Parts: sequence; C-alpha cells; structure tokens
Amino acid sequence: MSKFFNKFLYAVLTIFMALTAIFFVIRLSPGDPVETVLGQRATQEEIIKLKTQLGLNLPLMSQYKVFLTGLAKGDLGKTIFGAKDVKGLLKERMKPTIVLAAVSVTLSASIGMFLGVLAGYKKNKGFDKFSRIISLFALSFPIFSLAPLLVLLFSIKLNLFPVSEWGDLKHLFLPILSLVIPLSAIIMRVTRNKYLEEANSQWVMVVKAKGMGEVSILLRILKVCLPTILNIVSIQLSVVIAGTMITETIFDIPGMGSLLFDGIQNRDYPIVQGVIIYSTVTYMLIYFIIDYVNEWIDPRTQS
Amino acid sequence: MSRKLTKEMKWGGGILSLYAIWALCWFVYRYFLKGSIGQPYVPTLDMQTELALPFSKGLFLGADLLGRSLLEVLSAGLTYSLTISIIVTFATASIGIFMGYMAVKGPNWVKLGFDLLINLIFIFPSILIAIMIMAVTGQSMKGLIFALIVTGWTGYAKIARGESKRVLALTYVEGARAIGIGEIRLFFRIIIPAILPVMIVNMVLGISGVIISEASLGFLGLGASPYSWGAMLGAAKTVLLEAPHIAMILSLTMAGLIIGLNLLGDGLRDYLDPNEN
Repeated sequence: MSKFFNKFLYAVLTIFMALTAIFFVIRLSPGDPVETVLGQRATQEEIIKLKTQLGLNLPLMSQYKVFLTGLAKGDLGKTIFGAKDVKGLLKERMKPTIVLAAVSVTLSASIGMFLGVLAGYKKNKGFDKFSRIISLFALSFPIFSLAPLLVLLFSIKLNLFPVSEWGDLKHLFLPILSLVIPLSAIIMRVTRNKYLEEANSQWVMVVKAKGMGEVSILLRILKVCLPTILNIVSIQLSVVIAGTMITETIFDIPGMGSLLFDGIQNRDYPIVQGVIIYSTVTYMLIYFIIDYVNEWIDPRTQS
Repeated sequence: MSRKLTKEMKWGGGILSLYAIWALCWFVYRYFLKGSIGQPYVPTLDMQTELALPFSKGLFLGADLLGRSLLEVLSAGLTYSLTISIIVTFATASIGIFMGYMAVKGPNWVKLGFDLLINLIFIFPSILIAIMIMAVTGQSMKGLIFALIVTGWTGYAKIARGESKRVLALTYVEGARAIGIGEIRLFFRIIIPAILPVMIVNMVLGISGVIISEASLGFLGLGASPYSWGAMLGAAKTVLLEAPHIAMILSLTMAGLIIGLNLLGDGLRDYLDPNEN
C-alpha cells in the first residue's frame, strides 16, 4: 500500500510541476491576449478594464494563487476570447480526440502484435523479410507527409472518402489510417524482437521438451511479451498526442489538438492550461494503469 | 573481427551517400556557380512558372506555389534539414550521455531530480514544449535548435543511464577502480568508449527523428526557414488538387532520406550487437 501511495505522490508531483511550468512559461512568453482581443485601436482604459476583468492585472504570483484555488474547486476559468467556460469547451472538443486516439492505439496494438508474432514465428522467411521492408516504409513517412498522400489516393483518385469533414464514421477512416500505419509498424517491430528473445529462452525449450502444443506455447510467450508491448504503447502515447494534434489540423477535426494549437496561437491562457491538465492527468492515469497491469501479468517487472 | 557488412548497411549507406552528393552539389551551386560566398544564391520567384508540372517550362521537377524551381527549393530544404539535425543530434547525445551517467553515479537527489525531469519532458507532448520555446525565442534558427535539444536529450539520457549501469558493473571497471583511476578519467577513458557503439546506433536513428520533428514544427507553421520541408508540405497541402506532384515529390524525398538513415541505423545495430551472431 505504501508503494501505491509513493507512486500516487509521484504522479501528483509530476502533474503539479507540469502545471506550474505551463502557467509561467505561457505567461512569460511574448504576446498579449488582451491586445489581440481588442485590436490595435483600443484605448488605454479599455485595455485596463478588460485586464482587471480577466484578473491579468494582478502580479504573477497572485494570478498563480487564483489559478490554483480555482483548480482545487474544479474550476478551469473562462476563455479570454468569447468568455466561454473552459470545462464545457473541453468536454465538447474531447470526444473526437479520444475516439481518434483510442481507436488508433487499440487498432495499432492488435495489428502490430499479430504481425509481430507472425514475423517472429516465421523468422527469416518470406513474410518476415516482407514485413521488415513494409515497416521500414511505414516508419519513414511522418504523419504530415503520409496524410496528404492518403488524401490523394483515397479521396481524389479513388473518391472513396471525403477530405476534411467530421461527424460520420466514414470521416474517421483517413485520420485513423494515418495514425495507425506508423504506430503499428513500431509495435510490430518491438513485438517481433521480444518474441524472438523469449522464443529462444530456456523455459520455452523446457516446455517444448515436455510436449506442450504449439498454440499454448505461443500464448505463453505472448503473455511474457505483453509488458514490453504495453510499455512501448505508453511511451508512444505522447507521440500519439502530438500526432492527433497534427492530424486534427490536417483533417479539420474539432478536437483537443486543434483547440490547443489555436489556444497557443492566440495566447488564450485558460484553454492551454485546461488542455494540458486534461492530457497530463489522462497520460499519468494510463501510465499507472499500464504499470499495474504489467506487474499483474509478469511479477518479475516489479523492481 | 571478420564480420561482414550487412545488406542493410550497404543499402542505407548507398542512399545516404546519394543524398550527401546532392547536398554537396547544391552547396557548390549555391556558393560558387550561381552565387558567391558573400551573396549566396536564393531560388528566384517567378509568377510565370507557378505550379508548373515536372519536365515543363524548362524545370526538371516543376515549380512550387511561388514559381520557384522545386528542385532548388528541395535542395535548400535538404541542406537546411541536414544541418539542423546533425547539430541537434550531437548536442542532445552529448547532454544525454552526461546526464545519464550522472543519474547513475550522482548523489540521490540528482537521481530523483533526473527521474522527475525526464518524466516531465516525456508527458508533455514534445511539440508543445517546442511551441512554447519558439514563442519565447521567436521563430529563429537558434530558437528551433534550442527547442529540439530541450525535447530531444531525454531519449539519449535514458539509454545512457541503462548502459552506464551495465558497464559500471563489469569487472574491468572494478579493476580500473582498484588501481585508483580518477573519476574524470574513468568517465572519458572507460565509460565513454564502452557505451559509444550503442549511442552511435541511436544517433543515426535519432537524426531521422530530428528531421521529422523539425518538419512537424515547420508543418504547423513554426519552422525557422521557408525552405523547411515541413513548411513546404504545409503549403503543398493547400494545392493538393491543382498540383499533387509537389506533395508527392516532397514526401518521397523526405521518406528516402529517412529510409536511408533507418536502414543504416538498423544495419549498424545488427553489426555491433554481439548477441545476434
């Protein structure tokens, strides 16, 4: 139990540091949101009035205090542009991003694991070599160069999917495909290598000698490989977050990524803070769940 | 050692040397043939050739949105992206080796701080950190390089930490300690040569990572140069219907370079890995 407590404390500390860093960095970076809202011709009084209204006239440390007390009550403040409730805005924009990230991560994990085990099982045979070349290509087209090519092929040449709309299942296809291709290639490579490492180990030899069937050996090896694969997934998660941001801007998806990008461009502090809070907390949560699942699957990972 | 060069290394090396020759040709063309050292040649804008197709209007690869020869713009982007990625890779690897070693050898508070810092940089989407830094420093080459270094060193540090731990437990390190080797000498003469092979493999693979990060920033409009491949792809995306060749040529050129680097890195890893043979 004290171990759990330690980890929890660690997570809270990390999230707190992330929040503090984001709070100060975005306020210290040049650019003033009030000027952007009011435009160039605003009078001094108007500027001061809006600043007082938003609480931006206070010294930095008092602003920080206000921010933290608000956060403790679960209040994320209002946006500077349009004075919308940040929490409501985030709830609205969360769905596309979560759908995008969750579907592409699960799909990539299943495809990557399946192909990886298959490639490891048929080591140095035709399929293994073929999959190596395919994964090399998949890893060499970054998302923003892959996505235009996919649009060219599927939307313009074959006319199968619309270019940039949101709402239908059909519109999910291209964004998810552009996220799944590189991610599944990485997971496939890791799975293949880990599978080979385990398949050559002594315990597999013993189980084989005792006459266990091929399929049950395969399943056991897979179970041992699972923690490594889950670790890679958790590391890749921050890549996926960045990836969804780019995919959302490419395909005009109204998600958290595009919200964050606009927030940074306009210096809309509460939006940026809100998105960061949500993404760090989610990330930490998944990170810890994976950690516990790993220990549960393979107690050896407990260190 | 009679290990043969792997097929991957040959292919990767071949592809990379083609790119190196290309970059060199552009360098000579830019500074000595068309321009001079004081006044380097810049691809010219031309309304007449806007979005020209390949092999038309006397242009080998056609022209981009502003009517600049696509071949020239691509070459400028190649040298730009190679310069940045090589500088950033060397800087991040050096910082990473040092920090990773300190995380093993340093006092407890260094270890804890290291863990926290790495986690912090890891959970932040790296693009976000880069955007923040670029916002503070302005969109300049210096700012871009700094941003890429800040987000890039943690990967090397993690590897260096693991490797240092492994090497420090070896008998010959203990032997060196027994004859009274100094701390600094231990680091430079024993640890660094021992962990260098692994680091070099990761540096080769890391160069392609930096190229991708730089291009993603360029794509989001945060690049430091109009010749950034990412920025050009972002512009090409807007004319995908009228001139699909621009996006295709750009993607393929970038993919070729990354394939070359990945092949060489993978090949080197197999070549240096004693477990494989």
